[in-house]
Amino acid sequence: MPILLRRYGTLIGFLALIAFFRTELPDTFLTARNLLNITQQMSMLAVVSFTMTVVMAMGDFDLSVGSIASLAGVVAALVFVAGGSPWLAVPTALAVGLAAGVVNGFLVAYVGILPFIATLGALTVYSGLAFRLSGGKTIFGSAIPASFGGFARGGVEIAPAGLAIPNLTVVAASALILVWLFLEQTITGRRLYAIGGNAEAARLAGVRTKRLKVVAFGLSGFGAASAGLMIASRVASANPTQGAGLMLDAIAAVFLGMTMSDEGQPRVVYTLLGVMMLGVLGNGLTQMNVDSYVRDMITGLIIVAAVAASSLGRSREGGVL
Amino acid sequence: MSLLSIAHLRKAYGGVLALKDASLELRAGETLALMGENGAGKSTLIKILAGAVAPDNGEIRVEGAAASLRNPEEAHQRGLRFIHQELNVVASLSVAENIFLGRVYPRRLGLVDWRALNARAGVALAALGVEHVAPETIVSKLPVGDRMLVKIAAAFLEDDAARARIFVMDEPTAALTKEESERLFQMIAALRGRGCGILFVSHRLDEVLSVADRITVLRDGETCATLAAKDATKAGLIELMTGRKDISGERGPTAPRDAPIVLAVNGLAGEGLRDVSFALRKGEILGFTGLAGAGPERLIRALVTSNAAEAVTLEGAPVALRGPADAWARGIALTPRERRAEGLLLKRDVTRNVSLPHLERLSRLRWLVDRRKERARAVELGRRVRLKASGPYQKVSTLSGGNQQKVLLARAVAGAPRVLLLDEPTRGVDVAAKFDIYAFLQEITAAGASVVVVSSDHEELLRLCSRVAVLRDGRITATVPTEGLTPQRLLALCYGDPRD
Repeated sequence: MPILLRRYGTLIGFLALIAFFRTELPDTFLTARNLLNITQQMSMLAVVSFTMTVVMAMGDFDLSVGSIASLAGVVAALVFVAGGSPWLAVPTALAVGLAAGVVNGFLVAYVGILPFIATLGALTVYSGLAFRLSGGKTIFGSAIPASFGGFARGGVEIAPAGLAIPNLTVVAASALILVWLFLEQTITGRRLYAIGGNAEAARLAGVRTKRLKVVAFGLSGFGAASAGLMIASRVASANPTQGAGLMLDAIAAVFLGMTMSDEGQPRVVYTLLGVMMLGVLGNGLTQMNVDSYVRDMITGLIIVAAVAASSLGRSREGGVL
Repeated sequence: MSLLSIAHLRKAYGGVLALKDASLELRAGETLALMGENGAGKSTLIKILAGAVAPDNGEIRVEGAAASLRNPEEAHQRGLRFIHQELNVVASLSVAENIFLGRVYPRRLGLVDWRALNARAGVALAALGVEHVAPETIVSKLPVGDRMLVKIAAAFLEDDAARARIFVMDEPTAALTKEESERLFQMIAALRGRGCGILFVSHRLDEVLSVADRITVLRDGETCATLAAKDATKAGLIELMTGRKDISGERGPTAPRDAPIVLAVNGLAGEGLRDVSFALRKGEILGFTGLAGAGPERLIRALVTSNAAEAVTLEGAPVALRGPADAWARGIALTPRERRAEGLLLKRDVTRNVSLPHLERLSRLRWLVDRRKERARAVELGRRVRLKASGPYQKVSTLSGGNQQKVLLARAVAGAPRVLLLDEPTRGVDVAAKFDIYAFLQEITAAGASVVVVSSDHEELLRLCSRVAVLRDGRITATVPTEGLTPQRLLALCYGDPRD
């Protein structure tokens, strides 16, 4: 039983959550429209969580993803203000995110700062930069082209009834496939997991660990910038704090996923489950008109409970290592 | 009177016997030296006394009463004090705090009485004759020798609750100057006069012969002799430590002397090594050995991070190796010394462990892992190194030590390397696996690979290698062909035998 609970505890909890909302919200929860809505609501968190999984596969963290998301949104908006098209704004914002991530990776790998400290510092710097560039104001209105704001509202029609898969969901699904390919199928992904398994052994086996850290943090920055653009598109505006909530939720999603994976490795498919859990929880509780502070508390408790159940199960198995 | 008596102590790690049947007796007012080759079981015996590991069998008596020594506190309570070989000081704390580590700090009004703490630490240091180290100094600012003195002072700290009767010193002079060592010997003499007993472990034969009253020799985990120091000679001790093993008939074939040179190392320095030069011929197994701390444990690391093109020549071309990745890329494979900490991904399966350095060769479209090819390679190599595993997907943490070592060996040869650098390839490995590994190494050298083996197991070197280089103080002091070489002679070379 403890082993079952360890492997499947989080999954069982997830199913219980769905059953609970189904009984509480019989008419609105398990409908195609609401489910599609949930996928859109969680798409930004999903993208950040997937690229966070890349960093966490090496055993590191990236605390700066929220700031990078905000910064990317602000950069794109400024390009719009200067008269640039989405074809210029989007690549520029993504490049800024990538560069910010590469800087993080450089600090961790080559300067040798602990990832926690390096990305905590970066969080503050990138956030300050976003404030500085935007002047602390929200950039909105006619400067933002309709095509940019319209993207998030659009979708791929799947039924004559007007049901559509939201574009943002399509973006998140593409990110999932790309990160899955990268982590699970490429030799670079294999090496990242080797670093997470035993960094010194990986290095002595010829893995160029420093270079790979830069790659992983760069990807995390790129993912964060993508999410920042998705948020900006969704609200058709950009302000320097709109990505702030992403970081804790993304790390939480990866941790929730790790409780389900064998050996507690971060795997992107399990991260998806973690994201879904947070998404379902947020959507259901909002529909039940639960106060947002209470929602935060419940989310926090569930994360702690899941990780506790998993680590207790692990230590009871004998705790060999 | 017997202060400490140990009878028939036995301890196995996994399937490997570290102590088979160790017995000794330490009397009040004497210094007993404990001697033995690397791996004879000395460290295990000391760890048992310190309460760090539990014996499987055997009896320990302290002052006549059975003692279980289940943990370090208990050992302390029974009057045992330790000076360990490893410098386990907390560098961020002061000298006085290190001396009091694990003891009750003097207090006043419930708070630490820093003045008394420093004063009492000062007394302990003064007893050692150490006046140049202030108790307030932060240890990280001290050189290694002074840190050792701090550890020694900690062992001599007076403790009213549990009086010290037995001092166990494991290589206490390794980091000390001659004067500091002399001072320590005076302390030892004074302790003897007060009826304490000292169990003294050292690799330095001269020191042992001058300090000890009696000598107990361990060999392969067994006590093989106890003799009075005045009856002992260096040659006699070396013979006791190595035994009269004749393994000349078991040596494998050696490479022809005129085979081309594959790896030439010229004036390699760094990592505590100085001016290390050697040439490895095709098909040769070249051994490196030396006492602990003399340099062999750092040789491979220094070699693959030498970063100086003039130092290393591979098949006639100078190569600058800036790290393990460069080495693997050039066909130099290595297996690290600490197989669990530096070698394996313990939670991953055999396949992933074997393929790690060779992923490029096992890829599809240059980028994607070819799982079928990867698995086939792991299975094939597992068979060649005689790996005993349930399959290619068994997790390596569940393998025995010998099979874990075979996984590392399979990894090393998976890329058909030109040179293999093996660090302690059979440490903590059971006998059957050991012979599998020997046979495999002879097989691949016959097929043209060249191997460097760093080992403290002399029997192994004599069995495998065509030549053995001996390191002392970071230099190669001798390179000798193994033909006709006896274990006694090799050990004497490690000790720096004055006959040279």
